[in-house]
Amino acid sequence: MSFEPIIGRYLTVTVEGAPRRIYVEESGQGRPVLCLHTAGADTRQWRHLMCDAEITKDHRLIAFDMPWHGKSLPPEGFETEEYLLTTNSYIETVLAVIKGMGLDKPILAGCSMGGRIALQMAALHSDAFSGFIAIEASDFQAAWYDIDWFHRPDGHGGEMGAALVSTNISPHAPNEERWNTLWMFMQSGPGVFRGDLSFYTQDDSLIGRLGDINTAKTPVHLIVGAYDFTCTPEDAKRTADAIAGATLSVMDEVGHFPMSEHPKAFRPFFVDALNRMV
Amino acid sequence: MIKTLKQMQTRLNATPHLLHMGRLFNETVLLEIDGDEFYLTFDKGELATLTQGPSKKTPYRFAYKTTAAALQKFWQPCPEAGFHDIFAMAKIGQGEITGDILALVKNLRFFKEFMALGREKGALT
Repeated sequence: MSFEPIIGRYLTVTVEGAPRRIYVEESGQGRPVLCLHTAGADTRQWRHLMCDAEITKDHRLIAFDMPWHGKSLPPEGFETEEYLLTTNSYIETVLAVIKGMGLDKPILAGCSMGGRIALQMAALHSDAFSGFIAIEASDFQAAWYDIDWFHRPDGHGGEMGAALVSTNISPHAPNEERWNTLWMFMQSGPGVFRGDLSFYTQDDSLIGRLGDINTAKTPVHLIVGAYDFTCTPEDAKRTADAIAGATLSVMDEVGHFPMSEHPKAFRPFFVDALNRMV
Repeated sequence: MIKTLKQMQTRLNATPHLLHMGRLFNETVLLEIDGDEFYLTFDKGELATLTQGPSKKTPYRFAYKTTAAALQKFWQPCPEAGFHDIFAMAKIGQGEITGDILALVKNLRFFKEFMALGREKGALT
């Protein structure tokens, strides 16, 4: 028996004027890499990379559960509020975690909505980072589903959400990791996936900011899976083309949750991305 | 096609976790393939009856319309991107969902796994 190298702790930061108790995991040492999970999930999506000794020997991988997600509780009073993630609150949360942990210009790696916010950071707060890895990320995605399906009293939003996002998992993914990935969506709190999707499918503010990204100062690399039907390779290419100097890799056998659904196939693309962050 | 659907019926009725998942699913679904109608009536998760159309009198809760060529790709052991999932097929214009889509979404895992029963044994479920 042996423990995994991942260490989890709690950090309380202030976001929107109120405390947020944030669950943070980290593994490794060296260049800090702050990893952001997708909508409706949590830090567990990064578990394989955080246990990869070759990567963590010279990278400090840090992941945290957004408030309302995983082991980060919602703030006081959540029971009477509608959870709706916004670009501003998301940015404020990420910057608060960086400040709270004293991180010095981490690489920001985010997937899906985490990739979207990574690109927002590249446009608005590039000074705080040394590079951006935007996974399954695009400028904007209108919903091809009804986000209200995932929060209703006569259905299990988690099970419905998992069944929906299974559309975006590659058949090449190992079955165990397919279901581990879906389990996180099944566990998601009521209304959380819907509130994340509200941000992801309704805020198009990034489109007008892509031209502000200076990749000569902080590199931007996008990675997208061919089996992703939420952020398709065409969506990622459109986004990369709008950022001067941004680069893009397409993974043939991977879907929307690369680090979680198919870590073996994703690993070389992530290592390549890290090597581009110089 | 009817032979494949009957094979799926046999597989469903021999798959305990699917029968459990569909235990509250009592609906008729229209599966339209190349314009041919197949009415699938589920009773407590079992596919109780499988009736070939055409029929203008059979009520159904929702319909999934596609082609035999698309289903043939969908039923490959490791389908190509876009043909690996019935929602993905709809998104690329190879499938269409009509009717009470919420009834489908509430039972989405069940219906997706039922549709995947046309795959070779041991393939993706």
